[in-house]
Amino acid sequence: MNPAGAAAPSGRTQLLALRRWAGAALLAAIAFLFVLPIVWMTTTSFQAGEKMFQLTTEWIPSVLHPENYPNALSRADFPTYFLNSGVVSLAVTAGNIVFCTLAGYGLAKFRFPGDRFALLLILSTLMLPLEVTLVPTFLVIYNLGWMNTYQGIFGPLLVDAFGVFLMRQAILAVPSDYIEAARIDGAGEMRILWRVVVPQCKPALAVLAVFAFRDSWDQFLWPLTVVSKDEYRTFPLGLVKFGEYYGNPPTEQMAIAVLATIPVFLLFVALQRWVTRGFGLSGLK
Amino acid sequence: MSQASLSQATAPAGQQEIPARRRTRLGLRYGRRLQLIGFAFVLPTLLFFAAFKFGPMLWAVELSFTSFDMVSTPDWVGLENYERLAEDPVFRASLVNTFVYIAGSTVLIALVGLGLALAINTSVPGARACMAVMFLTNLMPIIAVTLVWRFLLHPFGLVNQLLAPFGVGRMDWLTDEDLAMPAIIAVTAWRFAPYFMVVYLAGLLAIPRDYYEAAEIDGAGAIRRFLHITLPLLMPTIFFVVVVSALLSSRIFLMPYIMTGGGPGDATRVLSMLIYETGFSYMKMGEAAAISVVLFAIMLVFTVLQMRIFMRNERGLA
Repeated sequence: MNPAGAAAPSGRTQLLALRRWAGAALLAAIAFLFVLPIVWMTTTSFQAGEKMFQLTTEWIPSVLHPENYPNALSRADFPTYFLNSGVVSLAVTAGNIVFCTLAGYGLAKFRFPGDRFALLLILSTLMLPLEVTLVPTFLVIYNLGWMNTYQGIFGPLLVDAFGVFLMRQAILAVPSDYIEAARIDGAGEMRILWRVVVPQCKPALAVLAVFAFRDSWDQFLWPLTVVSKDEYRTFPLGLVKFGEYYGNPPTEQMAIAVLATIPVFLLFVALQRWVTRGFGLSGLK
Repeated sequence: MSQASLSQATAPAGQQEIPARRRTRLGLRYGRRLQLIGFAFVLPTLLFFAAFKFGPMLWAVELSFTSFDMVSTPDWVGLENYERLAEDPVFRASLVNTFVYIAGSTVLIALVGLGLALAINTSVPGARACMAVMFLTNLMPIIAVTLVWRFLLHPFGLVNQLLAPFGVGRMDWLTDEDLAMPAIIAVTAWRFAPYFMVVYLAGLLAIPRDYYEAAEIDGAGAIRRFLHITLPLLMPTIFFVVVVSALLSSRIFLMPYIMTGGGPGDATRVLSMLIYETGFSYMKMGEAAAISVVLFAIMLVFTVLQMRIFMRNERGLA
């Protein structure tokens, strides 16, 4: 087609390669902008207090101040706050894994009168987050005598509709033949669920675990409403209280922010192999 | 065969075979037992939601017609709470702010998430690493996000430092009435867009490669391929992202609470903040319940949309 085609192919591949690398550089720049605040948080947590708002941010502190961490932890009772958050988040994660798997199995592999209505009912709770039902849920917990208790904080968070839906979708993909075969072999339903269904739903369970943990670790408004005693504060409440005292250096606030990010990050890394596979499920399907 | 396809057409996917086939082989009693077992698996979740979702919502509706304040005996006041809200400038401002916030962050999240997913999907070198790095924003606790950004958006903070070389003067991001809400919306997108990037990627990967190859052979350029293949086939995913981020942003509390405290003035006060303040700072729980009902109505719209996508997908599967 092109009479001077001899030179064209190499020129074209060069252009394509150039475009590829330009694209990579652009993407890397965007990714860098996204992580910049996280880098800033981390380096600031090692910075000397007075350097915070210097006009040139020192990206690699000339003198590291790791003592920001122990100092921050000792300003308020942060070990207790983190412990409280840990207890609450583990309870919420366990609750979601158990209840969402049970309900997901029931909805995916059984037909019973009203099963579709049950699913819609469960999905409809997406419009009833704690922010909406704050006052009456508070009254429920208050009347149960659960103010300033762990169960008061994690109770209303134990099951989330998103998790039920996620598990239902994952279990739908498990071949019914396997379940039937196990049933013919005389396995009980719980055994089938545990031995046949759960092993095939690891990606979904990993996604559920990461999101349930992160979301309860993140909870702020609800603990703020049901906790008034210091010994039941979760770390976000502690951090806000801490930030309100102007004497507390921002560098130490960032140290706590780094510490708060680490558990979610570690959980994600530990489950990453399954999470990446499970992501398809958290979307549309 | 025709019977089988009929039962598949009427029943949702994947669940219909077991009882139908069993009933003929083992008799109706076995089918009934399976029904009960299935229901038993769902029952704990239903009971939980009755106690912590539906019960409280009904109670909120009832409370919204009373003067409940936990101290004095509550009176039935009819629509008084709602009437007071309709005239309350703070409530009106919060309602408008909530809509602005939902619209702003939903649009920004949907666009930025899509842009990021498209960039990752070009399979340029290092795309996967960039994706992993950006996803980090999603693992950061929101409280950490708000504290970090409160410093970054400080008049002497990093954002202004980075903008200075471009001739942008000092911006009071969080204390200027016109800037505070956009700033919070931008932070929201920073936190959530990378998550929806992953959702979009799942959608993009599901589009068959042949379509693009065929279009390329026909001489369609990148823009035409995007407009005529990617966009239409990605529409369900886009719709999903929009609805989910709208639901997510309707319940925003922490970001404005920490970053601006609802200010300056009432510029960033949203309904969830007003519910908390009215109910727990001023102990006007009846009035707070009335605000809850309003917020519920907003979320109802998005949930109905969500259900419609869900139903359509179910039909697509069957």
